[in-house]
Amino acid sequence: MTKLNDILSPFTAWKHVVREPVTIKDPLNREAADRYRGFHKNDISECIGCGTCESICQNAAIDLVPVDGVETKDGDSGLRPRVDYGRCCWCGLCVDVCTTNSLSLSNEYTWVDEDPDNFRFVPGAENKSWDNREKGYKKPGNGYELYSPVRESMEELEPEQRDQSFIEIVQGYSKEQAEKEADRCVECGICVATCPAHMGIPEYIKAIRNDDLNEGLRVLYDTNPLPEICGRICTHKCETVCSVGHHGDPLSIRWLKRYIADQNPAEEYKKILNTETLQPTGKKVAIIGSGPSGLSAAHYLALMGYQCTIYEKLPAAGGMMRFGIPEYRLPYDQLDKDINYILSLGVEIKYNMTIGKDITLEELNKQYDAVFSGTGLHMGRSTRVPGTDHPEVYQAVDLLRDIVLGNEVPVKEKIVVIGGGNVAMDITRSLARLQKQKFGKVDMLTTSLESEDIMPADREEVIEAREENAVIDPGWGPVEIETEGDKVKGLHVVKCLSVFDENRRFAPKFDEEQKKFFPADMVVESIGQGMDLSYLSEEFKEQLKMDPRGRILVNDDFQTSVDWLFAGGDMIQGPDVIHGIANGHKAAMGIDKYLSDK
Amino acid sequence: MQTIIENLQKHFQVVSYHQQRENLGFLIASKEVAVGLITHLRDYEGFAHLVLLTAVDWIEDEHFQLTYLLHHPEKKVDLGVRVMISRENAEMYSIHHLWEQARTYQRELREMFGINFPGSPDVDKPFILEGWEEIPPYRRDFDTKEYSEKTYFPRPGRETHDPAEYMKKKLYPNE
Ligand SMILES: Cc1cc2nc3c(=O)[nH]c(=O)nc-3n(C[C@H](O)[C@H](O)[C@H](O)COP(=O)(O)OP(=O)(O)OC[C@H]3O[C@@H](n4cnc5c(N)ncnc54)[C@H](O)[C@@H]3O)c2cc1C
Ligand code: SF4
Ligand code: SF4
Repeated sequence: MTKLNDILSPFTAWKHVVREPVTIKDPLNREAADRYRGFHKNDISECIGCGTCESICQNAAIDLVPVDGVETKDGDSGLRPRVDYGRCCWCGLCVDVCTTNSLSLSNEYTWVDEDPDNFRFVPGAENKSWDNREKGYKKPGNGYELYSPVRESMEELEPEQRDQSFIEIVQGYSKEQAEKEADRCVECGICVATCPAHMGIPEYIKAIRNDDLNEGLRVLYDTNPLPEICGRICTHKCETVCSVGHHGDPLSIRWLKRYIADQNPAEEYKKILNTETLQPTGKKVAIIGSGPSGLSAAHYLALMGYQCTIYEKLPAAGGMMRFGIPEYRLPYDQLDKDINYILSLGVEIKYNMTIGKDITLEELNKQYDAVFSGTGLHMGRSTRVPGTDHPEVYQAVDLLRDIVLGNEVPVKEKIVVIGGGNVAMDITRSLARLQKQKFGKVDMLTTSLESEDIMPADREEVIEAREENAVIDPGWGPVEIETEGDKVKGLHVVKCLSVFDENRRFAPKFDEEQKKFFPADMVVESIGQGMDLSYLSEEFKEQLKMDPRGRILVNDDFQTSVDWLFAGGDMIQGPDVIHGIANGHKAAMGIDKYLSDK
Repeated sequence: MQTIIENLQKHFQVVSYHQQRENLGFLIASKEVAVGLITHLRDYEGFAHLVLLTAVDWIEDEHFQLTYLLHHPEKKVDLGVRVMISRENAEMYSIHHLWEQARTYQRELREMFGINFPGSPDVDKPFILEGWEEIPPYRRDFDTKEYSEKTYFPRPGRETHDPAEYMKKKLYPNE
């Protein structure tokens, strides 16, 4: 409807024609006040293209665009904000919210140009006269953040409460804590590329904010069928790139995932995930190994209607998630919650079946339409220093497996562990608990080639091991395990000066003059694991192409050079659970493609 | 400042007082006592100057917070009087009879927040928004972005990218 005012206003405007113009050229060229909000500046080497400035802008004045010379990589989208000054109202909200503090406003506000398109540009990427001005508006300091830079803290058992038992240390978030933590996410999605499974992280965090945990579970299962597990022990690389981590603590992505899984009861999974009935294809797939890659492949294949049978050497499922990772980090009931759901989709597991012994790979090929292998890395590597073949020298992975199987585990009063990774911390802390139970005290010493600053173990693992009274003495190279008859006396070491050469190749350098002796009556090696491919016959190995590093060669679908055989998990990539999950998922899609084409 | 407040409390009900800096404090008064209290501050305590009158929309608590900032030229101190009024049918007594310029602030608050000040001259006349038909724009339930998107068309040549989608395209297009 046209209003009278609309018709009249053009005429009323005429009265201004004879008036002096209100806007005049500034004859003095005065500089604006020190904190005036003028044209933007952006330090594009600091900016990560998270787009938070774009999201907050109430005038839709900002676009995110590719910029020459800025590369897309982990933690950086490669995009940069472009401002349309036809819309910008100089409110400065973009500056207040900027996650990296790269964005600011100069105090320059005058700029004359005939071409209106010039008033749309990428600050920092297109040179402007005000780029080096100090004056203007910057994000105010502490206390003015639009989101909290501080992570919701997590309840954990005190060292005294945990050092004798294997009960879970980390307690999990309450609803209130989880929602508060979720509120810190700016929903940029920068983390998604870094997660090997490319999980929908901002979407499931949003589901927590909306208190819609069923939706959260659906988002998790789109890319990850082991969320209780990953919510506890994932290597959480995503958190290393979180935008919010640039000025504050990164989002606690892993604990938020756990919160969603913890809150959804197992009995309701099928209803929530809409998997009560599945359409069978009539085709069968055999899976070797029930580690994360095998379970993930089985899960996604089952959803697509394939009949899956997992062949597992050991009497229980989970691979290293059960037989490696200690119970105080990943309790069995949570592991079983994830695994049982996958089994409920019709996946069958044949336990105590070793491929190559109880049944051959060739036989599997005859009985099934395709085979996936995820047999992992299970053979502990040895330092091979003199004395390692003594019976009181053990491999960490063997002991960890025996603890879970309930086999008798040798526990001596004085134990030395060689290794600086997470597995070394796991065996140190597990044996410390057993020592405490058996002798009432802990006497563990763990040493690694790497010095403290480059130890591969997670920082918190080292801290917690020390809290549990284990001694961690890094930076020493093992020389010899001294033995006397059926007894071990201890470990001789020399100072390790550096581990890698200029080309990041493993080439340790030692100072033979600086020596130490760690007395012990038992030594455990934990310097890595290798794969056991003895289940492949010699003829079969001839057909299978290997990559230059001696691993089975696979294509993007995780298909080997033998078309019916797919492979994933630690053998191919990783080593961690989430890579196994991602590989298994891709292999499942690859198998579906292969069998649909066939 | 402390003595002023103690003095004030003898005559008026002051809900709370917060000293922000040596020369700046804020008190909360009820809607009913506020104008009397402000008059008292002006006429008996020497707060001769009204620095500003402004509002905050506490939408979650369903009220607006008005702040009258008063200045004492001799003592060189500022005192903010805060008044919470209901968001629904938001209305406050006018103080244009105390300071002439209050009418302008009140007209602005009427336009930007929809707070009425009955009796304030020209309070219903458009202030800077001519022909405004939406809910008052400083109310927090006004969706600024939606308004700007529907009112101002984008200039041709604009395009944007979602960071996560763009990274997928660049880093792992086939997954
Ligand atoms: C002590 C320890 C702690 C770890 N902590 C973490 C952690 O905190 N976070 C994390 O992300 N990752 C962790 N990892 C790594 C993680 O457990 C592995 O990367 C992951 O389990 C590998 O998965 P996968 O699918 O390759 O197979 P695996 O988990 O290795 O499982 C392989 C399965 O195949 C079976 N198998 C092998 N050969 C045969 C055969 N011939 N016939 C039949 N079955 C066979 C095995 O019995 C096993 O069940 C840890 C590993 C260890 C050892
Ligand atoms: S919010 Fe900051 S870091 Fe993110 S895109 Fe904008 S300017 Fe860059
Ligand atoms: S978790 Fe961090 S990186 Fe991921 S979407 Fe949220 S703020 Fe962005």
